[in-house]
Amino acid sequence: MPPAPEITPPASAPDDRRTGLPALRTWRAMYWFVLGVFALWVTLLTWLTRHFA
Amino acid sequence: MNAVDYLVMFGVLVAIAAYGMWRTRGQHDLKTYVKGGETHWLTIGLSVMATQASAVTFLSTPGQGYESGLGFVQNYFGAPLALIVISIVFLPIFRRLNVYTAYEYLGQRFDAKTRLLGAALFLIQRGIGAGITIYAPAIVLSTVMGWRLDLTILCSGVLVVAYTVTGGTPAVNLTQKYQIGVIFAGMVAAFFMLLAKLPAGLTLHEALTVAGGFHKLDAVDYSFDPAKRYTIWTGVFGGMFLALSYFGTDQSQVQRYLAGSSLRESRLGLMFNALFKIPMQFFILLLGALVFVFYQFEQPPVFFNQTAWHQQAAGAQGAKLRALETDFNAAHVEKQQHLHEWVAAERAGDDRAANTAQAAALAAHQRTEAARAATKAALREADPKTPTTDADYVFITFIVDHLPHGLIGLLVAVFFAATFSSKSGELNALGSTTVVDFYRHVHQLRGTSRPDAHYVAAGKWATAFWGVAAIIFAMSVTLAENLIQFANIVASIFYGVVLGLFLVAFFLKWVRGTAVFWGALAAQLLVFVLYATLSISYLWYNVIGCVACMLFAVALQLFLPKAQRI
Repeated sequence: MPPAPEITPPASAPDDRRTGLPALRTWRAMYWFVLGVFALWVTLLTWLTRHFA
Repeated sequence: MNAVDYLVMFGVLVAIAAYGMWRTRGQHDLKTYVKGGETHWLTIGLSVMATQASAVTFLSTPGQGYESGLGFVQNYFGAPLALIVISIVFLPIFRRLNVYTAYEYLGQRFDAKTRLLGAALFLIQRGIGAGITIYAPAIVLSTVMGWRLDLTILCSGVLVVAYTVTGGTPAVNLTQKYQIGVIFAGMVAAFFMLLAKLPAGLTLHEALTVAGGFHKLDAVDYSFDPAKRYTIWTGVFGGMFLALSYFGTDQSQVQRYLAGSSLRESRLGLMFNALFKIPMQFFILLLGALVFVFYQFEQPPVFFNQTAWHQQAAGAQGAKLRALETDFNAAHVEKQQHLHEWVAAERAGDDRAANTAQAAALAAHQRTEAARAATKAALREADPKTPTTDADYVFITFIVDHLPHGLIGLLVAVFFAATFSSKSGELNALGSTTVVDFYRHVHQLRGTSRPDAHYVAAGKWATAFWGVAAIIFAMSVTLAENLIQFANIVASIFYGVVLGLFLVAFFLKWVRGTAVFWGALAAQLLVFVLYATLSISYLWYNVIGCVACMLFAVALQLFLPKAQRI
């Protein structure tokens, strides 16, 4: 049985390892920021639902 | 619409299309034609957003806000999570293997037959979807404006096909950037005009209080009731599943973010959507909820598809329809009186009076809704083919009846711009997949590859073929009411299996081509059989197709004779 084509983690170019943004420099920080904004939206929408119910 | 509106509408649409054609003329390189040039992350982000947001988004979603409130926003709760997964897992692999299409990756990971299967499933479901993308807004706009449906479809279809064929991906990305700009400008202008049209002295807080009193601001539902269509749980889990399928495996989206000049640009384009998708949908739904408030203080029609109502009112059901309209108007006038009492009591801080007035307004509202339901029943009785859902007509009716000329033209341009942006993305992907995964692939297998210019020409012919097919489909269908649902059903029947193929490719590295190919075919067959025999929500076929594909592939890999485990 021939080996399956190996899917290894990509060898990122140096420029790709950083976001290039001044505040959120790493991708990990970017993903946490996106999750934080998502949680904030859910909180705000929940408040809107209850406040005007 | 008057001459100013037509001037604004044609000016905006033709200028964007012509500029796109001119800037991207003379494409002879397949990589540029299919993958685009060195695209900036903001262009990618706007392009991804524009491909997803069709005219239906801007016509139907405010209507949904008007009828059902903000709850539909929960459908998008899974999108940020899915986009993060795609950014971490899918995108780096697509870029590292330098693929032109998502299905090319299946060929590299498995084999040629699995690649062709993935591409074929995409072509079937997206080919049908392309016809519906152009038909759905055309039926609403032609009905309200009194235009000929076939000419509306033909004119809008020919323009979008022209620039998509000549310029390929660079033209699609470039025009989408300006189209989404027009869309944002139009929707923001409509929002401020709507606020200005609310009764004098009514503050935004009071408008939201009225909307909330009629449950139009119920955005998040934490209940576990499986009968409810939109809850936070269906949104996060079901929405994530759908978004993974759509953004991760649908070539119309994959092609947008593979256009990035680097992995960084593509990722930032996806994160732009992860951040702004929910607020955008919330804003459009809120617009609908505010249109609802506006029509509490103005007299709305008993049925927003006025053309259909007038047609039947002139027939045998005329007396009944006019009597229902009288009942509706009387209940509405009574509701308005109670609304003014309610707002006055709120301003005076008199909670007891406010509650009493609100209860009276809600009771009157129930009578207006009963009159609307009876009207729909009467319309159905008069002619079973008459469309009896009018939510798609709410926003366009408000625009035509209450906004100034010039802005009407701009907002009709918004609906066409949204049609063009999603349609061009679809046609571009259909043409690319046809050439890259079938035509060029067969040449490569036979060892008869041709120069790039040949495949660019083939790509243009393939895109034109799909464009003409979509126009013919749109001009020949007669389904007036269930087209959007039909499109979602078709997508759900195929999406699950395609996602299953990709998840096996990414996460089950020991499963090979033969097992996943037959597993996917068996899963697709199972979905067809279940669809024909069960009466469950079509959204479940996404889950069933994906899980079945993965399970069948694993089982076949374990039990296939050793010689066939490749």
